[in-house]
Amino acid sequence: MSEAAGLLGRIRKAIVEGASTDAEQLTQEAVAAGVDALDILNDALMSGADEVGAKFESGEYFLPELMLTGRALKAAMAVVSPILEQRTDRSTEDTGKAVIATVKSDIHDIGKNMVASLLTASGFEVTDLGVDVPIKEIIAKAQELDADVIGCSALLTTSMPFLRDLIDLLDAMGERDRFIVMVGGASVTPEYAVHIKADGTAPNAMDAVKEARRLIRAKRENGGNR
Amino acid sequence: MHAYQEILERAGTGKYCTEEDWDLEKVAMTTRRIVEEYSLSWDPDQVVPNDPAVADAVFEAGLQLVRELGAYSRTTERIIDFEAGELEAGISAVPQELTMGEGPDARTLYSRTIMDERPPLVWAGNPGAPTPERLFLPIVKSWMQEPIVDLVTCGSLSEVDGREVRTGDPTEIIATRRELRYMREGLASVGRPGMGMLGAQSSVSELGDLAVAHPDYLRQSDAHLVPMLNELKMDHRNMSKAVNSIEYGMRNASLACVIVGGLGGDAPGCAVVNVASFILANLTCLADYHICHPIDMRHVATSTRRVLWVQGVVEQAFARNAPCIIVSDIYPKSGAMTRELLYETAANAIAITVSGGHLEGCGSADGLLPNGTGLEARFMGEVGHAVTNQQLSLGEANTLVLALLDKYEHLFDRPQGNPGVAFDLAYDMEELVPVPAWQQMYEEVKAEVRELGLAAL
Repeated sequence: MSEAAGLLGRIRKAIVEGASTDAEQLTQEAVAAGVDALDILNDALMSGADEVGAKFESGEYFLPELMLTGRALKAAMAVVSPILEQRTDRSTEDTGKAVIATVKSDIHDIGKNMVASLLTASGFEVTDLGVDVPIKEIIAKAQELDADVIGCSALLTTSMPFLRDLIDLLDAMGERDRFIVMVGGASVTPEYAVHIKADGTAPNAMDAVKEARRLIRAKRENGGNR
Repeated sequence: MHAYQEILERAGTGKYCTEEDWDLEKVAMTTRRIVEEYSLSWDPDQVVPNDPAVADAVFEAGLQLVRELGAYSRTTERIIDFEAGELEAGISAVPQELTMGEGPDARTLYSRTIMDERPPLVWAGNPGAPTPERLFLPIVKSWMQEPIVDLVTCGSLSEVDGREVRTGDPTEIIATRRELRYMREGLASVGRPGMGMLGAQSSVSELGDLAVAHPDYLRQSDAHLVPMLNELKMDHRNMSKAVNSIEYGMRNASLACVIVGGLGGDAPGCAVVNVASFILANLTCLADYHICHPIDMRHVATSTRRVLWVQGVVEQAFARNAPCIIVSDIYPKSGAMTRELLYETAANAIAITVSGGHLEGCGSADGLLPNGTGLEARFMGEVGHAVTNQQLSLGEANTLVLALLDKYEHLFDRPQGNPGVAFDLAYDMEELVPVPAWQQMYEEVKAEVRELGLAAL
């Protein structure tokens, strides 16, 4: 086995095991040894993340494993991102920046945390604003970071109106076309998402990541328009 | 100074910790280590736990988790520490009996034992299920009128006077007061005005809760929710609810909705977190009794193997080590007019009753829709009573529950769930009785469960 292949395997293992320090150090080692950053991304980081996603889906892994992998990926991505940014053609990418939050009045965060962890694990740069976040604050952060996606969660029926308020406010500000808005939560149905003019929703965290990627691809293929 | 002010003080001055570190480094990692230390595991074919040593180990592990971690204030991002003596005092002080309601309709909750010969109390309702105003009164009356029902609760009003209700908004006050008025009206109309209730379900923030602390709405002999947040957390909203009971005196129902598959990991870790939540809730929620409602991270329902096991082992852990009143929620995947709703309800009711819990439900259709009726609440109570009449053992209960799982477990692979129909399609709205097809389904499933081995049903 070549040195590069050995390193990629060890990075991948660190990602699957959620070992943050190992993931970061091994990624630095691989870069220093001249391993292509794109190979690190695809063959170690994304490949490891895919395995963790599959283990989570099958019930072998639980939320802590997902969070640890998210953290390990973040550490490794901090090493390879600056290199990749210099050469990446964003028009073919299907990841980007996501601002995510549970909306005002709602304090449930497990689903939102799962989506944030999986988005991170899939290469998104995620800013998680937490729970009970006023919609103005969510929009301001998305503007500041020039986010691609705003992801909002509401578990409670009585918090769902704030999802619509966010989209209405973006409209009123003339900013609606700038962001992909995804909504989610136990009571949010596809019909509700269409009703409030959100761009997408998903029944679970894995599908939310697929939907975010699909929407980003569609937007970029459409020259930046939703 | 009331002792609770000391807890508030600690929430303001305790050690700072980010929420991410609390979740991952403290709760998840400590639970993982403790589960290994105590060698805790579970068997998916033993959904009704039947090993006293496991129940004891889960209790000790939960107590160790609280001693090591304390609680977390999400509002202040600080850790609320407790001395071991304070935790033990909280365990000793929790009521063993609690009278709910008034006059001839009053009932006394009591701490149950494993395989208790006394029947569980039957607390009927779909706690927190979003309910449109036009259906609210007929739905709650459908279980208030059932003779087997001892206590009642309800869903949350999702709209009032045609306007949507928003949490933390003046509409929450209107909704919570309206809910209590309907509950009073419903109980009076079925001739049981003194029946105790768990109310203020329309109050997610503290606003509605504060607005109904009055004898015309929520009496001192009624209960309201004081939840712990996932996991082992409080915030000032919920601490305000606890404080709202001081001097006024309504019953505090601590609620732990531990996510099974969440920060605690697999079932054993989540049972440990659930035990820890209840021990903390004696102090942080001023708990008079505990509501046990683990949530399956993938399937929500309480009828999955993992949740059945967690509920059972937590009830048994407390029954053996720190007796207290535990009321366990039944939230089936299925909704009205489905056979599976009745199978799921039976499975949960059997497992809870033999393990030492009282019964609360049903939050049919995952509690997401107004697709619950009084009929499954009746069935829940009948199953619970049959379990004690028949003196079912833990082993016999397990065999029965496994047979029931065979009849509904396939549902968990259905992306669309099994929501059934709304209340007004399952009940005759004039007579307030089940429509013939729903009644027939109930009779058939009841006979089936009897055949499976619950002969006293």
